[in-house]
Amino acid sequence: MAVDENIISVKNLNFSYGKKKILDDVSFNVGKGDFISILGPNGAGKSTIVNLISSILKDYEGRIEVGGRNLRRLNSKDVAKMMAVVPQYTDPGFSFTVAEMVMMGRNPYISRFGTERKEDYHAADEAMEKTKILTFANRKFSELSGGEKQRVIIAQALAQDSPILLLDEPTSHLDINFQIEFMNLFLDLNKREKKTIIGIFQDINLAIQNSQKIMLLKEGRIFSFGSVEDTINRENIKNVFGSDVFIGRNPVTGNLYVSPVFNTAIERDIIAQGANKCSRVHVIGGGGAASQVISLLHSSGYVISCGVINTLDSDLDTARMLEIPYAAEAPFSPISLDSQNKNFEFIKSSDAVILPAVEFGPGNFSNLLSVNKAIGLRKKVIIIDKENIRKRDHTDGKAEKLYGKMIKNGAIAVETINEVLKQLQ
Amino acid sequence: MRTGTRTLKYIVILLIILGLIIIVAASTGAVKISLKDTGLIMASRIPGINRYINTDLIDYQDIVIISQIRLPRIFLSIFVGMALAGAGVIFQGLFRNPMADPYVIGVSSGAALGATIGLVFVTGAGLLGVSTITVFALLGALGTTFLVYNISRIRGKVSVITLLLSGIALSAMLSAITYFIMILRTQDMAKIVFWVMGGFTSATWGNFNVLAPIVTVLIIISGFFMRDLNIISLGDERAVQLGVQTDRVKKILLILASLIAAVAVSMSGVIGFVGLITPHILRLLVGPDHKILYPTSVIAGGIFMLMSDTLARTVLMPREIPVGIITSIAGVPFFLYLLLKSKKQIF
Repeated sequence: MAVDENIISVKNLNFSYGKKKILDDVSFNVGKGDFISILGPNGAGKSTIVNLISSILKDYEGRIEVGGRNLRRLNSKDVAKMMAVVPQYTDPGFSFTVAEMVMMGRNPYISRFGTERKEDYHAADEAMEKTKILTFANRKFSELSGGEKQRVIIAQALAQDSPILLLDEPTSHLDINFQIEFMNLFLDLNKREKKTIIGIFQDINLAIQNSQKIMLLKEGRIFSFGSVEDTINRENIKNVFGSDVFIGRNPVTGNLYVSPVFNTAIERDIIAQGANKCSRVHVIGGGGAASQVISLLHSSGYVISCGVINTLDSDLDTARMLEIPYAAEAPFSPISLDSQNKNFEFIKSSDAVILPAVEFGPGNFSNLLSVNKAIGLRKKVIIIDKENIRKRDHTDGKAEKLYGKMIKNGAIAVETINEVLKQLQ
Repeated sequence: MRTGTRTLKYIVILLIILGLIIIVAASTGAVKISLKDTGLIMASRIPGINRYINTDLIDYQDIVIISQIRLPRIFLSIFVGMALAGAGVIFQGLFRNPMADPYVIGVSSGAALGATIGLVFVTGAGLLGVSTITVFALLGALGTTFLVYNISRIRGKVSVITLLLSGIALSAMLSAITYFIMILRTQDMAKIVFWVMGGFTSATWGNFNVLAPIVTVLIIISGFFMRDLNIISLGDERAVQLGVQTDRVKKILLILASLIAAVAVSMSGVIGFVGLITPHILRLLVGPDHKILYPTSVIAGGIFMLMSDTLARTVLMPREIPVGIITSIAGVPFFLYLLLKSKKQIF
């Protein structure tokens, strides 16, 4: 991107409160019309970046350019013409009306010795129209609900008619209907009016569903900055937030989504006991039957492999999401010898093999044969939901028969997934 | 209706009321003078109109009473009322605090101590037609403002909390010194108490001619910062985001309002409640927008003070009541009435 396309350019920005360093050598560029979300845990410096760009904080080292001009050389009205901020909430000391509040957004355009002109009333009306508050323009701000108040504050910011909009957690204290309404409004402003938007959102999914770029901040440094696809992955989230998450795709929009991993108390106990006899586990997949056990084992700290699954299987999505090695086969075709061998290599290097409630047909029957061979290799084999194999058997009883043989040879049958964890101890 | 038009409407109404009250106030007193004669005498003092006015038929004594005794007192009280109400609006807006009044950062105690020192220790003719006491009161008020302001300035920023606290602390100390002097000089105690209670008994054109231009200039300059004051009430940071140079504007307004209050208090002593209640009453009537609130409060402050002072000098004729007693007794019930009637949230 050419340099002049950058509407904001930050170079080697350092900022401290007393001795505590808040921002440490932060540099980044924001292109015209970008929608960027800043994500990071509390205290990472998100608000500080917004406060520095909007020149509330001034004692910084480094250089901030807005519209190609040094921020230090812009006066406060010029800055307010370039960028408007939507804060989390605003509490006026006096009970102004909605119209009076919105008109304050025109302050950068009104001279100290002048008064509101026609264009100022026009801009204020337009801003109130966009946020649907014209109908209560004459009501007192203090009498409005939280969501209505925030609409007024957004209108105040829109009245500034600035090319840049900074959002400092504008929806985090509001109900989901307002979150959606405001996000749609911000997207409209970004798409239709080409406003550049930099936002801080508490909700990661809200941010990644709507932003073009993500800035991950950790301890005052930029950990990662780029497209959603490049920045949002398990490792980065774990690194920045210290939390374990699954990252999947929204089946409707195809966008990434992040969902946290919650462990029940029992699972946590089992994990805490640690020192598992079996640390490497292979899971037979198919038809989504393995996903639940894979994620449970994964969050319990096991090293997992999976196979053989076809490439359209949801178990494969799970394996990919968790970055687990797997053996896969093309859909609607029987398991090839190659995949079979690859799968068996996984089994050989594992301590245990899990057989979830997979449907068996002629195409994947070889998976069962591999499990049977594992018993011969003295691997611990755990069979889930053995009782209902008849319903899942599409091989004229061959699978059911093999199940019986495996149990006889020492495979362990369990009913639920939690029992698997106990058996692995 | 647009802000400018609304403001103009209110100002015109208030000025008409003020004009009528001036005529009534000038005609009442120990010597009754008819409203017609009062009007003629006043008109004869206005350059340009006086050519067409014939006062030959009016008693010369009446002309002297009105033009040399009542009018300077009337106009001095109006300007002090304007100053106190204007400073009150600014301090309440800056501190976002309904309890703020023109004396909030200690000008009154400073002025009182200055006046006491002037009364007790200094004999002299005064300065530029202004009495020694007034000059010392002004020095005391300005000195206190300067001290409090510099104590609260931390790295170029003025902290509101420190300002209030150091104001209270310094006030307490200055009052203590004043009381100490009063104990040492019991023979002057009555004079000191009377000055501190405030009033316009010693009003002269000399005092007015000094006060009026200063107050006028300071009030007009402050008026240009009312849009900023509106926005600052959203919080300092929000104000910056909306393009206000918050730190600078706050400093300017703080200094202007302190000067206004200092000049007023040095002319009249410590008259309570006008600066506190006038802005509240007007906020109930015209709303919180400082662009309207400020000019209307200024005029209403003048009206309020003139009415109070007229009552102060007439209800117990020939005795005078300190005007501060009237402002409190008359102003507070009216304010409470408005507060109950509107039940609106003003803060």
